[in-house]
Amino acid sequence: MASQLSRVWSGLCRARINSAHLRRAVSQSRTSSAAGAASVTDLQPAAHADDSHGHAEVNPFDKNPDYHGFSDDPFIDEWNMRLAFFFSISMAIVIGGTFIHYLPDHGMRQWARREAERLVVLREAQGLPLIDENYYDPSKIVLPSSSDE
Amino acid sequence: MLKILIPTIMLFPTIWLSPSKWVWTTTTLQSLIIALVSLSWINWSSETGWASSNLYMGTDPLSTPLLVLTCWLLPLMILASQNHIKAEPIARQRNYITLLASLQTFLIMAFGATEIIMFYIMFEATLIPTLIIITRWGNQAVRLSAGTYFLFYTLAGSLPLLVALLLLHQNTGSLSMLIIQYSQPMALSSWGDKIWWAGCLIAFLVKMPLYGVHLWLPKAHVEAPVAGSMVLATILLKLGGYGMMRMMLMLDPLSKDMVYPVIALALWGVLMTGSICLRQTDLKSLIAYSSVSHMGLVAGGILIQTPWGFTGALVLMIAHGLVSSALFCLANTTYERTHSRTMILARGMQIIFPLTAVWWFLSNLANLALPPLPNLMGELVIITALFNWSPWTLILTGAGTLITAAYSLYLFLMSQRGPLPQHIINLQPFHTREHLLMILHLLPVALLITKPEIMWGWWY
Repeated sequence: MASQLSRVWSGLCRARINSAHLRRAVSQSRTSSAAGAASVTDLQPAAHADDSHGHAEVNPFDKNPDYHGFSDDPFIDEWNMRLAFFFSISMAIVIGGTFIHYLPDHGMRQWARREAERLVVLREAQGLPLIDENYYDPSKIVLPSSSDE
Repeated sequence: MLKILIPTIMLFPTIWLSPSKWVWTTTTLQSLIIALVSLSWINWSSETGWASSNLYMGTDPLSTPLLVLTCWLLPLMILASQNHIKAEPIARQRNYITLLASLQTFLIMAFGATEIIMFYIMFEATLIPTLIIITRWGNQAVRLSAGTYFLFYTLAGSLPLLVALLLLHQNTGSLSMLIIQYSQPMALSSWGDKIWWAGCLIAFLVKMPLYGVHLWLPKAHVEAPVAGSMVLATILLKLGGYGMMRMMLMLDPLSKDMVYPVIALALWGVLMTGSICLRQTDLKSLIAYSSVSHMGLVAGGILIQTPWGFTGALVLMIAHGLVSSALFCLANTTYERTHSRTMILARGMQIIFPLTAVWWFLSNLANLALPPLPNLMGELVIITALFNWSPWTLILTGAGTLITAAYSLYLFLMSQRGPLPQHIINLQPFHTREHLLMILHLLPVALLITKPEIMWGWWY
């Protein structure tokens, strides 16, 4: 337990050291990118090889606790989140789903099913067979006489 | 057709002209609107056959679900890449989104083509952006060899296809799918005809991929960045299945005997790649092999050439596209935090990311075909079609589903359960974006089963 706690503590310390370093790195890159040029910190993840074996990262939650994963700029981050949710969930899923649900009955299959059920009830009530053995009236079918061949 | 294609092409000005801060936002929104409008394809104006706006582009019930899936995937790819690409310079970010958008353009033209040669050209054109995405934005040096595998496997398969198509054009006088489906079955008997038959299918079998010519796929998947893996699993493999369904119509009298070895290989591949999954240590490799296994079943369903086989294959392609893409996204979220794909180095994540463990759980259940989901519908329909052909296939397909369940649970247990490794400290919390991404994958899967007939293909 004690060893676990000490490990967590050392991890936390390392994280705080990293974030202190990196906060500077972030603000530097922001000023330089405002001038329109990509800075070195943009190109390469900030290298803190000595204290983190090259795996140091900017923790965006340090700068913006409400980080949504879209952008480093909190304003853009929030609006990107809102717009993405609106257009994906509210528009594509909800409106698109409603559209697909209310599509016209393709090939009149639902109608055919309803009509069949109605006819089954009707014919059972009348005591008729569900389907007549001679579905087509045989007297109306004109067959070639066998002597023709 | 053009109402989708032109907005898709207009993505390029959006990407290059919008202010650098808003590039990701504007492209996400535009692609989402395109995805919404693309749903109008499902509203069928004609009762049978094709709905075509002109001679060269058209949709039919077979291509519509795949087209909608293509349009749905672009916003998801953009959302998924946003975090790891945004550290790069803005021009390179724009380049990256341009490649994704060009991929969508090519894919829409491939699925919308009514002329087989145009389909072929677009089928080949999708190689270029995918290759650049893999070899430029992959994570390790091995990506170059993965790109070589990807390129040369596909090209070696598709050059015979070009020859076979030109030969077909010479014999029938047309390669329009609108016409060729009504042409007389050809009398095919000679050895040359048999080689022609193989030439027509090999390209698609490699792309599927069939067990035996699948080696490019795990490499490409493992080395590609997340958007590359997503589009490979979701659309590019399905391009193979789609092409096979189109070609099978013309190969008819010969196919009955010729497909035996291919079906045997496909079903054997379901078993073998499933077993390979069970001994994977690499997260993305496992998901890639699981794709091969599922696509083996799809290949079996298509080659059996019954209405149920085709329907099941299409349903499984759509469902698998969404679910395996979801799994690749989840694998990427883990990768972005732990910088490792090795499963044993990132165990017990359930403790720290409980909500993400729910996403893992749902995606894995969908992958192993949990009852209400379309994955089950597709698998069952294919298995029934195969069983109807030969009861013995049930041994292979049944064992295949069992192994699928086994490796899906293995994946879940390895990544989410167990002790948390001691080196895992200080992981970033999950982003809202990643949860949104998972919802956008899994909600459509759940919604699709409420109206599965829109992906029944020709029997809609």
